[in-house]
Amino acid sequence: MTATSTPPPTRGAKRARGPRVIAPLVSGQEVVLLAVIAVLWLVLGFATPAFLTAGSLRPLLIEVAPIALIGVGMTLVIVAAGIDVSVGSQMMVCGVITARLLVEAHVPLPLAALVSVLVGAVMGAVNGVLIAWGRVHAIIITFGTLNLFQFVGRQIFGSQTVNGIPATLDVFGRGEPGQTLGLPHSFLLTAVIAGAVWWYLRQTPGGRHFYAIGGDALAAELAGIRVRRRVLLAYVVTGALVGLAAIFTIAKGTTTLDQSIGAGEELAVIAAVIIGGTSIMGGRGSVLGTILGALLVQTVTSGVTQLGWPSNLSDLFVGVFVIIAVGTDLLRQRTRRVDQ
Amino acid sequence: MTTTAPSPSNPAEAADNGGDAPGPLLRAWRAILTRRELLLVILLVVVLVWMTALSYGGYLTGPYDPDYLATSLVDAVPLAMLALAELLVIVSGRGGIDLSIGSIVSLTGMVFGIVHGLWGWPVAAAILLAVLVGGLLGAVNGVLIAWLGFPALITTLATYYAYRSLALVINAQKPISTPNIQSLYSLTGAVGIPVIGHDIPNVPLGVFTFLVPTVVVVWLLLQRTTYGRRLFAIGTNDVAATWSGVPVARTRLLAYVLAGVLAGVVAVYVTGQFASARPDAGTSGNGLALPAITIAVLGGVAITGGIGRVSGVLLAAVLITWLDAGILLMFEGNDGTQFQLLALGAVLVFCALLNSFTTRRYGGTR
Repeated sequence: MTATSTPPPTRGAKRARGPRVIAPLVSGQEVVLLAVIAVLWLVLGFATPAFLTAGSLRPLLIEVAPIALIGVGMTLVIVAAGIDVSVGSQMMVCGVITARLLVEAHVPLPLAALVSVLVGAVMGAVNGVLIAWGRVHAIIITFGTLNLFQFVGRQIFGSQTVNGIPATLDVFGRGEPGQTLGLPHSFLLTAVIAGAVWWYLRQTPGGRHFYAIGGDALAAELAGIRVRRRVLLAYVVTGALVGLAAIFTIAKGTTTLDQSIGAGEELAVIAAVIIGGTSIMGGRGSVLGTILGALLVQTVTSGVTQLGWPSNLSDLFVGVFVIIAVGTDLLRQRTRRVDQ
Repeated sequence: MTTTAPSPSNPAEAADNGGDAPGPLLRAWRAILTRRELLLVILLVVVLVWMTALSYGGYLTGPYDPDYLATSLVDAVPLAMLALAELLVIVSGRGGIDLSIGSIVSLTGMVFGIVHGLWGWPVAAAILLAVLVGGLLGAVNGVLIAWLGFPALITTLATYYAYRSLALVINAQKPISTPNIQSLYSLTGAVGIPVIGHDIPNVPLGVFTFLVPTVVVVWLLLQRTTYGRRLFAIGTNDVAATWSGVPVARTRLLAYVLAGVLAGVVAVYVTGQFASARPDAGTSGNGLALPAITIAVLGGVAITGGIGRVSGVLLAAVLITWLDAGILLMFEGNDGTQFQLLALGAVLVFCALLNSFTTRRYGGTR
């Protein structure tokens, strides 16, 4: 029995009458994550007194924003039992197109952002169509498109870097124009989008379909869900969010964009989603967990640097956290199986 | 359809698979789709003819001749060996895949570099240690996946990052290229083949010292041992295998250990090839895992497990190597490596779609 995780609001005979049972707003995994993050922050705060200050936490939120934003889309993908390892390359393509539009064509920022989101959505659609209609496992397709997108990105880069990125991007940047009430704009926008998708996944029939597909795609198909369209939608949303995240990433960098943009992004995102309690087998997960997972990943990464350890060591910890998260997910499934 | 023996096309089978007797063209089409080796040989000929034509037409920046092809085999050795490692793991089924294999190459390469290059262990002992470390790292994957039931995809993604991180940290991101390590370069030099050596170009030594023994051992293991049959059995249907008394967990665990061992051997080879133990040997750029998986899938290994052959993987490795070598000559400077990305990605997507199509239409490749 691979039942969908978050129990449906109503169940069995109670459906007809009786009070509507509302699922708790936060699940066990999210509470645990909050506790782990709190402990890590306290430990880091004691180890390096500078950590628990606005000057240190604000950059953390700025770094988290793109990971969390793509993670929101990736949650849809993984809940529907897929995966997308091409997001790093997608970000490279979106990033270089945006940068060149801003620098060479002097396009206003909103238009450039729109183009970036559209380009991302198109790349997501390529993935989605190949996966949903080609009936090939998502990992193979996205591994292939990872290369294709990287080729496209490098072709557009042409020379090695794009220089002189204009100051219009400062609304999402690290400086004073990039924040309201001390909170960075990129993080606020991410929180708003995450909230919308959270509501969509939890409360609308369309959102619940993703869980049904992840639980058992065949059963979902037989129940009348348009599985292929939902799967396509998941990848398109992910691509579009990558387009927006690319803008955040350029904005938090320097005035020079090099080809390393997006490298390794897929790990951070997938790790955030898995650590956030979304089951890699599909059918269970939440956007809130993903945001907390992203926060945990970034805390580990920043913490390692602030403690003065080799920065490459952070990948080791992230890897271990992913293994632990998958282990608890399996444990939970086993206990549920015994219960039934 | 798990049979791996080359069964001659059987008229009864052909007849029931369409109702009416297929014409020769249709039969040829089906043979090309279901016999992966046939398709690969055709593609190989196409690539060779196309590139040679370009070479004679003067469109390439260098000659695409037998000497060049033989030299480029130096790159085929690690790719083919890692693709064989992926073959073992993917055939073991339940979504088996090993994304961490490139990191294992990096980490074992660094361990090898430290004990041989810095501590001065004899080569034989250092190679033995590299193989052991590779096996151990593979065993970590195997225990998690086979015993504890972790999904292979996310587990090996996590260990990919963990091992890569260790490989970078272990020697503070510095490569090791002491004289001890540099002397290993001769491992990959070109040699003439005795007796017929005058008629064909010199082939890199690594083909004989590394690739051929590996191919023979893996082929024997898969086709001539109980273990091989068990591996195909659990890959096809592990519930049925359990009920037939096959030790499923142990068999699958061993597949990951063997993949790690192969990666350890590749680490030694790559260290020799570059005359230096590099912390990013298996992970720089897109790493070695991606081309290895591409070659395995191109070679007809079904991602769902239970289907795959050594000969297909070997042909696919040669095809990719010679295609890459040709692409490198088509462009000046750095452009060639970019078009290699395009070719690799396109080939992977194309052959994955092809595998999916043949599985639905004809019950898979043989």
